[in-house]
Amino acid sequence: MSQGEPSASIVTLSGINKTFYRGKEPIHVLENLDLDVPGGSFEALMGPSGSGKSTLLNIIAGLDRPTSGTVRVAGEDLTKLSDGQLAKWRSQTIGFVFQSFNLIPVLTAAQNVELPLLLTSLSAADRKTHVETALRIVGLVDRMHHYPRQLSGGQEQRVAIARAIVNDPKIIVADEPTGDLDRKSADDVLTLMDRLNKELHKTIFMVTHDPSAAERASVQRKLDKGALQ
Amino acid sequence: MNLATYARRNLFRRRGRTILTIIAVTVAVLIFCAIRTFIVAWNAGADEAAADRIATRHKVSITMQLPRHYIDELREVPGIQAATWANWFGAKDPKERVPFFAGLAVDHNTWFDVQQDMKVSADVLAAWKQTPNGAILGDVLARALEVQVGSRLVITSDIYPGDWEFKVVGIYTPVRKTVDRNTLLFRWDYLNNDPRAVYSKEHLGWMVSRIAGSADSAALSRRIDAKFESRDDQTMTMSERAFALSFLGGFSAVLSAFQWVSLGILVIMTLILANTIAMSVRERTHEYGVLRAIGFPPGHIFGFIVGESLLVSLAGGLVGAVIVELLINHALGPFMQDNMAGVFQHFFTPGWVVAVAVGAAAVLGVVAGLIPAVLASRLKVTDALRRLD
Amino acid sequence: MVPFQYNARSLFVRKVTTLATALGIALVVFVFAAALMLGEGVNRALKTAGRPDTVVILRKGSDAELTSAIANEYLGLFRGPAQVAQAGGVIGEIIVVVTAEHADGSGVSNVLVRGTPPGGLAFRPEIKITSGRAPRPGTNEVIVGTAISGRFKGLFPGQSIDLRRNRPLQVVGEFSADGSSYESEVWGDLDYVRNALGREAVVSSARVRLNTPSDFDAYRQLIEGDKRYSMKAMREPDFYEKQSQATGGFLKGLGLTVAILFSIAAMIGAAITMNGAVAHRTREIGTLRALGFSRASILTSFLIEAIVLAVIGGVVGSTLVLLLSLVSFPVMNFQTFSEIVIRFHATPAVFVKALVFSGVMGLIGGLVPAIRASRVSPVEAMRG
Repeated sequence: MSQGEPSASIVTLSGINKTFYRGKEPIHVLENLDLDVPGGSFEALMGPSGSGKSTLLNIIAGLDRPTSGTVRVAGEDLTKLSDGQLAKWRSQTIGFVFQSFNLIPVLTAAQNVELPLLLTSLSAADRKTHVETALRIVGLVDRMHHYPRQLSGGQEQRVAIARAIVNDPKIIVADEPTGDLDRKSADDVLTLMDRLNKELHKTIFMVTHDPSAAERASVQRKLDKGALQ
Repeated sequence: MNLATYARRNLFRRRGRTILTIIAVTVAVLIFCAIRTFIVAWNAGADEAAADRIATRHKVSITMQLPRHYIDELREVPGIQAATWANWFGAKDPKERVPFFAGLAVDHNTWFDVQQDMKVSADVLAAWKQTPNGAILGDVLARALEVQVGSRLVITSDIYPGDWEFKVVGIYTPVRKTVDRNTLLFRWDYLNNDPRAVYSKEHLGWMVSRIAGSADSAALSRRIDAKFESRDDQTMTMSERAFALSFLGGFSAVLSAFQWVSLGILVIMTLILANTIAMSVRERTHEYGVLRAIGFPPGHIFGFIVGESLLVSLAGGLVGAVIVELLINHALGPFMQDNMAGVFQHFFTPGWVVAVAVGAAAVLGVVAGLIPAVLASRLKVTDALRRLD
Repeated sequence: MVPFQYNARSLFVRKVTTLATALGIALVVFVFAAALMLGEGVNRALKTAGRPDTVVILRKGSDAELTSAIANEYLGLFRGPAQVAQAGGVIGEIIVVVTAEHADGSGVSNVLVRGTPPGGLAFRPEIKITSGRAPRPGTNEVIVGTAISGRFKGLFPGQSIDLRRNRPLQVVGEFSADGSSYESEVWGDLDYVRNALGREAVVSSARVRLNTPSDFDAYRQLIEGDKRYSMKAMREPDFYEKQSQATGGFLKGLGLTVAILFSIAAMIGAAITMNGAVAHRTREIGTLRALGFSRASILTSFLIEAIVLAVIGGVVGSTLVLLLSLVSFPVMNFQTFSEIVIRFHATPAVFVKALVFSGVMGLIGGLVPAIRASRVSPVEAMRG
């Protein structure tokens, strides 16, 4: 794929509604929302808290279903997949980066990165190769046998990113990836994500309320009261 | 690494809790095995009673005696290879060194012919024939009463007044581990000739017969009882096992209560396991959400939880099995067999009891993990991620 | 002092854990209280028949009525001394155990048959005929104790069993005896029973009513010192005390041993729960410390929480165990070789002991976690 050229949509959402219920009270978090994300794009989604950013992210990532509307991601109609099929699809298609890193404390960095590969039929040797590659990309191969408590916040997040890309997903979904980091670490993480987008052509969909993080993306959207601007 | 590594590593997250839970399972397995060993030991005598021996006693009461000439009539019944008899002496140790032991006045000519579980040499038998007040003891009893071959022994009786003096002519060897080693045998004719036994003169307590191993003992028993049916003193004949059990019969309720109690400890163990797993799962709900997000299907989560529970319970079960083996079979058991033979001559945990205990621990480990596992795998991924526990 | 509301709500919020732990403790308390109730039941059954002004005489060397034998003519000699009450006086009885089939076909057990003279029923004012009528002296009529009535074939009013071939016993009524072991016996005529057994001139035991309890020592010296015979005399309560010792002590000891072993498991369970609670609430504890609560108050607070948790289980367990009072339990009496039926007997003391036991379990199980809680520093309140 050539750099920077807009290509076919990798995410198409039309007529998305999402309603939660607090007791008997319905809360319309997303209302009649449409979204098109071209492949290879680096998108940032901003908005005040409670605006439904995470909900939208969850729908794109196949973690949640809309109350109504269609969701096409990476060529699949997600509303037609069962929960089990969605899990499988996620493992092959999506890479997750969370705000609180979410590494498993009892596993080393390498073992954490290896986790998604356990869902595949790769041999132990192949898994090792992929893990090393992923850690090399994020620059932490020398720390592969360290436990999360032995790493700084920024390093933990980079290991988490390695875990997110080890399965070669099509889309990386990041929920406030720099929320728990200091300025310097946040910068390192964003630079890394930039590289993933430009060099490895990964589509990145990032939710953030940090304006300097949003600036790094190629497309910035705002979500307010359930509608996109 | 593989998924098993993850499950195993998780056990050491809260090392203290895991260790305490394993200890709890170990304690439960120990108690379970101890209770079942108690039950097995209690029944041991009855379970190993010979298949080729039957016992004939008074139909109305175990305390009533039969006329002596019954033995001659019994020996005439076809199918009876040899028959002997015994009277209960109600023996007591005047120095109270032994709380309880069996004292029997037996027919010295035929006793060891029929009771082949106890062995003595031909010399001892000859000496017994020469010594009217000769006595043969089990080795544990002899040690407790501080006598050997040639010693003088004085005992008293619950039933007959005064002191009774005997000369020890031999110590019998038990053929199997479960044979009683705490019995005193002396000559029936010595009792019969003593004026103090005037109430039971020419009477015997019960008869024991050896039959062919292949014989139909039930039919033979009925035939014997039919023979004495019309007499004033009717008989009741049964297998030796049934005879031994009739002594234990009064305790059947206690023993079945103990069966229930042994289940009770397993229930407590399951509650502790379930509690531990539930606490762990609650703390890791968020993490399970992350794994589900990455793509692990709910079935894997279910497997992790049940797998951890199984690992803990199995660890506790195996440690418990080792301790049982060492404690009961190599320390407590031999101690009880040598010193408390009157009550427990065979205190030994059979392999199947240990296997059942470990198996139960494993199964209950899985059961304990089921509900937390089902709940965790059913939880919506987004809800799981929202939990901050 | 940390307000108790904090502990109460904490217990309530973690419902599942609280419930599981309390249930485990409830089970242990159940076993403990059941053992105590069984002991009380045995004591009751074997003791209440004893009166301090009554003496039991057995042949010297016998420990139970079953194996003792006293020649008839000695009864007159027992009546002689001045300490003997003129009304009531002396009775001699014969005791024998008889094999009886269970009514439900589950096997056989030994039943104690007591042949008593015409004055035997009146000698014990606590005996009440609860159905049918008293047996006529000199006949083969018998009455059956309420504890065993109907449990054996033939031992029910209107039925009969054979004492010996052609020597049936006709059951004409049932009797109660204040819950004592007499209720597990069959009572008939002394002469009929001993004649049937060929022991005409003999009784198993004699009971003597004295003028006052303090006459006992003098009477005993007379009886035991008499050179014409070899007897031993005991106060009736002491006689029953000895009878119950073997069986009662055995059952109680067995039950308590089991309960204490169980309690080890339960205490570990309580420790796990409280440990988990402390780990879960580290930030809260840090906050309490930052607010100014002392280490001691935190320690006490968690200790109380553990004890309350255990006592909840204790209340559940000791309430459920009351259901056992409906259950009767056949046990072989070592001394008489016969079956007596024991009722689980609940007393307030049992309830109190069970609750204290549960509290102690909570105390021991919760001690280490409470100490850990008290060690949490105020800094923990700041940790994210």
